[in-house]
Amino acid sequence: MARSQILAIDAGGTMTDTFIIDEKGDFVVGKAQTTPLDEHIGLLNSAKDALSQWNAKVEDEFPNLLAGVYSGTAMLNRLVSRVGRRVGLVVNRGMEDNHRMGRGLQSFLGYSYSDKIHINTHHFDSPLVPRKWTVGVTERVDLFGNVVIPLYEHEVEPAIQKLIDEDVEAIVISLLHSYKYPAHERKVRDIAEQIVKKANKDIKVFATVDYYPVRKESHRTNTTIVEAYAAEPSRQTLANIDTALREAGTNFDLRIMASHGGTISIKANELARTCVSGPIGGMVGAKYLAEKLGLKNVACSDIGGTSFDIGLITQGELSINTSPDMARLVLSLPLVAMDTTGAGTGSFVRIDPNYGNITLGPDSAGSRVGVCNPGGGIDTVTVSDCHVVLGLINPDNFIGGVIKLSKEKAYEAVKKQIADPLGLSVEDAAYGVIELLESQLRNYLESMILGKGYSPSQYVCFSYGGGGPLHTAGYTKGLGFEEVLIPAWAAGFSAFGCGAADFEYRYDKTLDINVAEKAEDSDILLAGKELQGAWDELKKKVTEEFKKNDYAPEEVDFRLLYRMQYQGQLNDLEIEAPISAFHSVDDWESLIKTFEETYARVYARAALSPELGYSITGAIVRGVVEVAKPQIPEEPIYGETPPADALAGYRQIYWNGEFLPAKIYEMEKLMPGNRIQAFSILESTATTLVVPLGFEAYLDEHRIFHLKEMK
Amino acid sequence: MAKYDKKRINELIEGTLEFYQLKEMMSSHKDPERFELYREVLQDRVSWDDPILLPYGLHLYIVQKANGDRIVKCDCGHEFCDYKENWKLHARIFVRDTEEKMNEIYPKLMSPDPEWQVIREYYCPNCAAQLEVEAVPPWYPIILDFEPDIDTFYKEWIKKPLPKA
Repeated sequence: MARSQILAIDAGGTMTDTFIIDEKGDFVVGKAQTTPLDEHIGLLNSAKDALSQWNAKVEDEFPNLLAGVYSGTAMLNRLVSRVGRRVGLVVNRGMEDNHRMGRGLQSFLGYSYSDKIHINTHHFDSPLVPRKWTVGVTERVDLFGNVVIPLYEHEVEPAIQKLIDEDVEAIVISLLHSYKYPAHERKVRDIAEQIVKKANKDIKVFATVDYYPVRKESHRTNTTIVEAYAAEPSRQTLANIDTALREAGTNFDLRIMASHGGTISIKANELARTCVSGPIGGMVGAKYLAEKLGLKNVACSDIGGTSFDIGLITQGELSINTSPDMARLVLSLPLVAMDTTGAGTGSFVRIDPNYGNITLGPDSAGSRVGVCNPGGGIDTVTVSDCHVVLGLINPDNFIGGVIKLSKEKAYEAVKKQIADPLGLSVEDAAYGVIELLESQLRNYLESMILGKGYSPSQYVCFSYGGGGPLHTAGYTKGLGFEEVLIPAWAAGFSAFGCGAADFEYRYDKTLDINVAEKAEDSDILLAGKELQGAWDELKKKVTEEFKKNDYAPEEVDFRLLYRMQYQGQLNDLEIEAPISAFHSVDDWESLIKTFEETYARVYARAALSPELGYSITGAIVRGVVEVAKPQIPEEPIYGETPPADALAGYRQIYWNGEFLPAKIYEMEKLMPGNRIQAFSILESTATTLVVPLGFEAYLDEHRIFHLKEMK
Repeated sequence: MAKYDKKRINELIEGTLEFYQLKEMMSSHKDPERFELYREVLQDRVSWDDPILLPYGLHLYIVQKANGDRIVKCDCGHEFCDYKENWKLHARIFVRDTEEKMNEIYPKLMSPDPEWQVIREYYCPNCAAQLEVEAVPPWYPIILDFEPDIDTFYKEWIKKPLPKA
C-alpha cells in the first residue's frame, strides 16, 4: 500500500489534473472537470479519482502528504481573454499612449517564423488598460536618476479622482526611470492610497518600484499591470483551495509554481510570476534529478503534442531569462530560459503546394492526436498518424487504451495527402516524415547548445514528455552527448518537477554601477556599498515573504547573485556571487574573477575586454528553505535479460526501407539491470520508448533508461 | 490543405471576418481553389452576366463580352473601355491641387504641398463610386494600373479554361 507524499495540482481551463506521488516515486494521476467558480471542488474530485487507483481515500491519504504544489491557467486565461480587473494606470504626463501602443514586437510575439516576416499578419491585441483609464501626472527623472522636473503633487489628486470616478478596481503607477529614483512613485502611491481611503473604496494601489524595480519601461509597466489585472484576483481562489485542503486533512503550506523555477507561497507579494509555470516543471524536475545523480550539465528535451522544448542546466543551474514574454506581452519576470519550436507529435504534416516538399507544423492537432483518432475530427495528417502507419505506437494501447486509434484511417490519410503526391509508398512517406522531424529537432538541439557557447559532449541529455522517448534516439543520434537518459516516469515528469521544486523566492533589482579597469579603491568601495545595499534590500524582501509562512531568517538559505557586463556591451551575465557580503577591495577582485571566468566559458577567453571597465547591471537575491520532495526510486539490480513476462509480444514495424519484427515490452515490468536490444518498443500508459537499430537501452537502479548509440 | 466555402470568401471580400480568422487564412498555404472561388463570389455579387476574367480594382473587373471583347467594367454595370486602354481616361477625375482642397481631407498643415504633389481621385461616371486615388507630382502622366496577360495566366498559371460569354 502506497503512502502519499507529494500532491501536484495542474488546474487547466477544462480539466484539473492531480498527481500524487508516493515515497517510491510512483504516482497516480486523477482527472476531474475544473470548477472555475470554486476551484477546490474540482480539485478534490480530481484527487479522489487519483487515489481511487490506489484504492485509497482522501481522508486517509491527505494527512500523509508532505507538500502540495499548485499550478493553474486561470491567470493566463484572464490575460489572454482580457477578462481581468478594471485597472487604472498613472504614468508621466505626455506618456499616456505608451501602454496602448505597446512595443512593436508585441504585434508578432508567439508567431511562427513565416508569420513574423509577413507583416500583414502582425496585430496588436487590445491593451490591458484602455486609454480612458490612463492618467498622466507631471514629473521627470532622467536615466541616471536625477530629478529633472519635480513631481507636481497638485496633479495627483484630480488624476486619481478621475480613476475612482471611472470605477477602477486597482491602480498601477509607473513613472519613467522609477527604478533609479523611487521617491516620486512612492509619493504618488501614498497620495493615491489616502484618496482611496477617503473615498471609502477598496482599490489596491500598485507602484512598479514595489514590485519590479527593473529597467525597461514597457516590461515593468506590463508586469505590474498583469499583477493587478490577472494575478491579484487569484489570491482569493488560492486561499479557498488552501482552506479546502486543510479541511480535507492536509498539513502543509500550499505553494505555487513560479516562473523562476521555485515555488512560492500563496501569500507572496508578487503573484504575476505564477502565470507562466506550466512548461518549466520538467526543467525543475530535471535539475532535481541531476542533483541527485551528481550531474552538472544537462540538456533537457521535452516533446509534447504541440511543441519541442529544450533548456540547459549548466553547472547545476537553470539559466534565467529576465525579460520573457507571455500572452503576447513583454514582461520583466525571471523565467527559466527555454527554447521552443512548434514541432510535436500532433504537428500537422503537409506538402507545400509551392515547392512540393514536406512541411511540419507550426500548427498542431494537440490533444486530438490526428486523423487516426476517429473522435478527434482532424482531417490533416499529423506526426502521430505516421507513428501509427510505421507501427511505432500501438493503436489499441494509446494512453493505456483510453483512445482507440484507427490504423486504416491513418494509412488512408498518409497515402492520399503525402505518399501519392510525392510518389512514395505509404510507409516510406511516413518514415520520411519521422526522419524529417527528427533531423529538425536534432539541428535545433545542436544549434541551441552550440549557440550558447557549449558543446553537446559536455552535456547529458534528458528526454521526457509524452512524445519525447519515441524520438530520443533519432534526435540525439550523432550529436555525441555524454549520455542520454530517459526516466521511466517520463510522461509525468512535469508533475514530478512541480513536486521537486524548491520553496524559493527570487527578487531582482536593476543597478548601474560602472567601475573602470584600474579604479581607485575609493570608487570600488563606493560601488561595493551600492551593490551590498541592493542585496540587503532584496534580502529584506525575501525575509518578509518567508515570514508569512513562519520561517525565521536563520532557516533561509540566501544566495546572492549579480549581473555584470563590460561597459558598453549589450549583454550581461547572471552570476552567483563568490562572496557572502561585500566588505573590501578583495571582494571586488573576486567578483571580477568570477565574471571573467563565466565570460570566457560562454564566449571565449580571447574576448575578455577588461580595458572597457565593468558594469554591474543588477542584484539578485534567492532565498530557499527546506521542503519535502519526491523520492527517486532505488531498486536492486537484476540481470541483463529482461524477465519473460515483460515481453508483451512482437509487432511488425517499418524502418528505413524494410519491415522488421519489433519486440514489445511493458515498460513497468522491466527490471533494473536489464539491457534491451534493438529493435524494441517499450510501452507504458502515457509514453513509448523506441530502441531503434544501432541503439541499446539499459535500465538502471533509479528506473532511468540509458539510451546508448552502438558504435 | 486549407479549404474555404463561398460564404467565407464572401466575408473576406466584405471585410467582416474576425482578425483571428484572417490571420489563420494568411498563415496557411493558399488554398488551390482560391482564384476560381473568388471569381465566382465576385460574379455572384454583381448584377450583370458578363463573365469576370480578372478583378481589376475594388469595383472594377475585366469581363468577357460575347463578341470577344475584353473590357473594364464597374460593378454598377458601367463599361469603360478595352482592358488594354487606360480606363482612367474615361472616368470622372477630381484633382486636389490647392491647399483648400487638401484641407477638406487633411488637418491643416498636414497635407502635401500641392506644388509638389497632387491627389487625383477617379470616379465612376455612372454610380460615382471612388475607383482609384493616386498621389503624384502635378506634371505626372496618369498611371496605368497594370496590363495583365490574361491568356497566359489562365493557361500556364492556374491551368484552367477561360470563362466563356
